[in-house]
Amino acid sequence: MTRVIRSSAVSLALGYVALGITALVLFAAPLWYAWQVTIQDGRSEILQADAQRLTDVYRRDGGDALKNFIDARVHMQIAGDRILLLTDSSLQPLAGNLSVWPRNLPATPGNYRIKVDIGDRGIQYTLVHVARLGNYYLLVGRDNKLFAPLERRFWYGLTAAIAVLSIAGLLVGLITRRALMSRVDSIRRTVSAIIHGDLKHRLPTHLSDDELNTLARTINGMLDQIELLVHGVRNVSNSIAHDLRTPLAELRSRLEELALMRPTPEATFAEIDGAVADVDRVIRIFDALLRLAEIDAGMRRSGFVPLDLADLAATAVEFYAPAAELKNIQLTFHADGALPVSGDPILLAQALSNLIDNALKYAPEHGTIDVAVRRRADAAAEIAVTDNGPGIHDSEKAKVFERFYRGDASRGTPGVGLGLSLVQAVAKLHGSTLELSDRDPGLRVVLVLPCGESHAASRSLAAAADAPSSAPAAAPATTAAP
Amino acid sequence: MKILLVEDNERVSQFVIKGLQEAGHTTDHAANGRDGMFLAASEPYDVIIMDRMLPGDIDGLAIIEVLRKAGKRTPILILSALSEVDDRIRGLRSGGDDYLTKPFAFGELLARLDALHRRSQGVNREAPLSVGNLHMDPLTRKVTRGDRQIALQPREFKLLEYLMRHADQVVTRTMLLENVWDYHFDPQTNVVDVHISKLRQKIDAEFERPLLRTVRNAGYMVTAGD
Repeated sequence: MTRVIRSSAVSLALGYVALGITALVLFAAPLWYAWQVTIQDGRSEILQADAQRLTDVYRRDGGDALKNFIDARVHMQIAGDRILLLTDSSLQPLAGNLSVWPRNLPATPGNYRIKVDIGDRGIQYTLVHVARLGNYYLLVGRDNKLFAPLERRFWYGLTAAIAVLSIAGLLVGLITRRALMSRVDSIRRTVSAIIHGDLKHRLPTHLSDDELNTLARTINGMLDQIELLVHGVRNVSNSIAHDLRTPLAELRSRLEELALMRPTPEATFAEIDGAVADVDRVIRIFDALLRLAEIDAGMRRSGFVPLDLADLAATAVEFYAPAAELKNIQLTFHADGALPVSGDPILLAQALSNLIDNALKYAPEHGTIDVAVRRRADAAAEIAVTDNGPGIHDSEKAKVFERFYRGDASRGTPGVGLGLSLVQAVAKLHGSTLELSDRDPGLRVVLVLPCGESHAASRSLAAAADAPSSAPAAAPATTAAP
Repeated sequence: MKILLVEDNERVSQFVIKGLQEAGHTTDHAANGRDGMFLAASEPYDVIIMDRMLPGDIDGLAIIEVLRKAGKRTPILILSALSEVDDRIRGLRSGGDDYLTKPFAFGELLARLDALHRRSQGVNREAPLSVGNLHMDPLTRKVTRGDRQIALQPREFKLLEYLMRHADQVVTRTMLLENVWDYHFDPQTNVVDVHISKLRQKIDAEFERPLLRTVRNAGYMVTAGD
């Protein structure tokens, strides 16, 4: 029972019921008061008229006549619901349908509301009028019978209204609770299934936009992310194990061979150098993974500062220019003026460097790579790296972001298959997306940094920076390599 | 150089002490924070190598903070297994001068110690630099070798300037990435080598005696010696 009351739906319904009852009472009370006042006024008028008629009899014909008149009326039962009593000056009854002068009733003319024992009709509250006629006291009264049914109906109506309100409120509360409980229960069941390890479950949702549904959708989004992460971690653990195996196996055989063969010192030193290089490869993989983990955890957001994306890209292009030159690749850079954004300079530089590095790996001899930075119409900043290499097959596009994934085209090239994962992780940290598209031949990777609230400040900065040089700044800023 | 090594791992300590000895340096060793703090505060050292995580209640960063507050300006290289960017920033903010993550190559450690030591000697950043017959004027940005003027791109100038400021010292690829490009990550490919060979083309190509040399398994060195 306490569980039912503690349910939010039920207590809400109870609150509404209480409110409804209060409103009803507030409405009925003045009505009741006005009603009572009106009736009382009407009654006293009737009583006064009755008393007047009897007084007229007394005035015209004297006390005995009045006594006979009253006796006759009581006797003939035409007194109706009237109460009549005529007494002498010592309040001894002379005539009428009341056997004694009621106690508590003073022998003073006026209107009173008293309790009267009317014999066969029991005790009733009634309004009486007392008049003094010479040596007689006259009591005229009428019981409430006339209006009782009306009043009863009033009370019945009020009670019924309160009852209907209470029952309906309680029912609605219980029904809402049941509906709510069934939905909450389904959420609870799903969540406990997930707690027990089955990440495939999702909360049931429907099309409406009510609170629970919105919550359920948000939770589902969270679950998607968790599943992706867990899945990623699982994949990564497998891949790490696999990728570390190769250099470790090489290292092991190298060392074992050294121990077995005991070669000349020169050969031994060469083998040791090789072993160190193997270890360095393992360390590199670890470093890349740690960096990825660091980015994934979202911890680097503290490193966000205002920076010029165009400058950052120019540095990266300039950094790779000699390497491009060596491969006879034409590396070009386009930017129109400064492009202030808010971000992590170290990570953005690393991401861009990975993109250019990739392009350099896959672009053919005498190929082209273009790095372009621009502000889009929706105020988002965009870096695009385009090469004319083999591109990525559609079937591979989703996979290239997976850790340690190496496409067919990458066989025989150096790298551990973490480059694009890192770029994607960096993009994600910046609330951004990474788009791959075909250039036939070639690949175009676009990193979009949305203009969120964190960019609001830099946007005004951008306007200020663009203003003086907006006209002639459209020309390519740097062109590297022949 | 007189060097203090505060490091609790015995193997790493032996490896470092032996290597430094071979490079001609004397090394004191403290295996915990208390001893490290005592030695660092009482003895004059040229450079201190400080492990971040030490047994006992005093960790490396706490020692550095105390030393700095006490006015000790000895250059400190932080050695740490924590490789995250934030850890690095925290380390440098506490008063460390350089940060090297474990595991490290000994050549890298040695080169960084040399660079730290030289930096602490106080250099005039505007004074002309000379290595053999190669001259550089940081103010006019003029570079000459013998009587010939050499035209350099801004970044090539920065690269050569860094190498010349550390003349006769090994400079690693990582040090170049950090100091010339401000890149705190491993670009995977040998881009630095390409930059060096381009620079070498400009300063060494037509001269009999090469000044910019590759030090195997370590990095590069600009030197006029043999």
